Amino acid sequence: MRFVLEFDNVTKEYRSFASRRRLRALDGFSLTVEAGEIFGFLGPNGAGKSTAIHLAMGFMRATSGSGRLLGEPFGHPATRRRVGFLAESVALYHRPAERLVRFYGALNGMGGIHLENRARQVLEIVGLQDHANRNAGKFSRGMLQRVGLAQAMVNDPELLILDEPTSALDPLARVMVRELLLHARNAGKTIFLSSHLLSEVELVCDRVAVLHRGRLARLGRTADLLQAGEETEIVVRAIATNHFDGAIARDGVVSFFVPSQTQRAALEKVWTLGGEVVSVNPRRRSLEEIFLEVTAEPPSSPAVGVS
Amino acid sequence: MKPVLLIAVNFAREQRWPILTLLLWVLLLAFLGLVTDVHRQREDLLFVFKQDAVYVLAFSVFFGGSAIYNERRSRRILGVLSKAVGRQQYLSGLVLGVTIACGLYCFALGLTGSWTLGDAGFPISRVWFLMVCLVAACALAGTVALMFSTFLNPFFAAGATAIVLGLPALAGQLLGPRWGYVIPVWELGALVVNSSFGSPGKASWFPVVLAAAETLAFWLLSARIFSYVDIAVAVE
Repeated sequence: MRFVLEFDNVTKEYRSFASRRRLRALDGFSLTVEAGEIFGFLGPNGAGKSTAIHLAMGFMRATSGSGRLLGEPFGHPATRRRVGFLAESVALYHRPAERLVRFYGALNGMGGIHLENRARQVLEIVGLQDHANRNAGKFSRGMLQRVGLAQAMVNDPELLILDEPTSALDPLARVMVRELLLHARNAGKTIFLSSHLLSEVELVCDRVAVLHRGRLARLGRTADLLQAGEETEIVVRAIATNHFDGAIARDGVVSFFVPSQTQRAALEKVWTLGGEVVSVNPRRRSLEEIFLEVTAEPPSSPAVGVS
Repeated sequence: MKPVLLIAVNFAREQRWPILTLLLWVLLLAFLGLVTDVHRQREDLLFVFKQDAVYVLAFSVFFGGSAIYNERRSRRILGVLSKAVGRQQYLSGLVLGVTIACGLYCFALGLTGSWTLGDAGFPISRVWFLMVCLVAACALAGTVALMFSTFLNPFFAAGATAIVLGLPALAGQLLGPRWGYVIPVWELGALVVNSSFGSPGKASWFPVVLAAAETLAFWLLSARIFSYVDIAVAVE
């Protein structure tokens, strides 16, 4: 298994020169991202997500610990040629979109007709082909975010690090980005996605990590995390609600939750009562539930991993 | 080298409005050359020429002192340094950008000076030598300002630069002229300011070469300091 991004016991403290205060943004943070996956990076505001990303990109140095990006220590400029990055607040120079994308591509050593074609191609991918000659300074926030995505993809990177890539996008553009990410993964790319849009993360990410107050609070495969609940939902027909605790009748069916280990007994009881089983499903939680659960925990809790 | 050139040209492009504003002064010199009798009012023309030369020195400190701050405040620096660009290359681009911005101005001033002062009897080769001195002084002053701006805001960076550039000049006055060459910005500026029709002065390349060497030294020092700076932290 090849890791494209590794954090090894990384701690980052910000120090205020004037007040001599210290703020620990990351606290013994360790994480590995595998090649070819879409990795969701979640956490409330101030959890340390952007700090972790900025350390990986070499924008700052860790107070202690180390990390590797595509096998090289953080901050190695040549490695960034293989990385695409979109910052949370997109800030771009005021010039026509196509020239802007070409500028960022040229900084990565691209040039000639290949760069021209690629710039046009990525602008088409993000739906800005009709605005290629418009000055980015006059773009809306959503359009800026799309140009930001285009400049991140111009070098056809092995690893895309995206910090809130859809925060300013309308639903149509979000679908476009989602498809783009899935397409990139199918092409063998790795995507490290930091986002507050949990529904988006739930839809596209293979694995998810939740960061809370600088520490890793949850890590696992998205599917496993969502089904990690120990309960099963049983939907039946033709029995009364009073036979099971918490049963609810709706649209002609009765549904209730039972602990997974008593699922068999509950089904036998349904059949004994003459009921008809409609469906039996593991209780599926949403990422939002997990997120709220994690952020309600005290910060000293150790990371809980599912896989 | 390509990223350095791209960053330099981009910097000069971003500074196009201050550069154009500066060029208005050159335009004033050209206007005076057109409407006055260059032979009778040649001292006035030389005064405006010197004044224009001093402005660009001040602007080089402004360009150098605010470059990193502006890029960090706007967060555009993240887009550039997320590419295969090292911090040393980034600073090289800014130093070159400051030099290009000041060089454009000096070229325009040199052209206008050759025409107006040349007509009035000032040696044209001397005009261009002074412009080379001025570009060297701007590059050094801009690099010193850039070095301070890696860890200070533009206001304090400009103040610190003024002190560092001014101290050798002061020492030169008090302890002997050699001290003025420790950081030769003042000496190079003085070559321009002390020029006159009567004594255009000798063309000594020593301070120019010294300024180029010190620009390199301050650039290396800047790169060393800048490598420790957390650039993603808000500068405000």
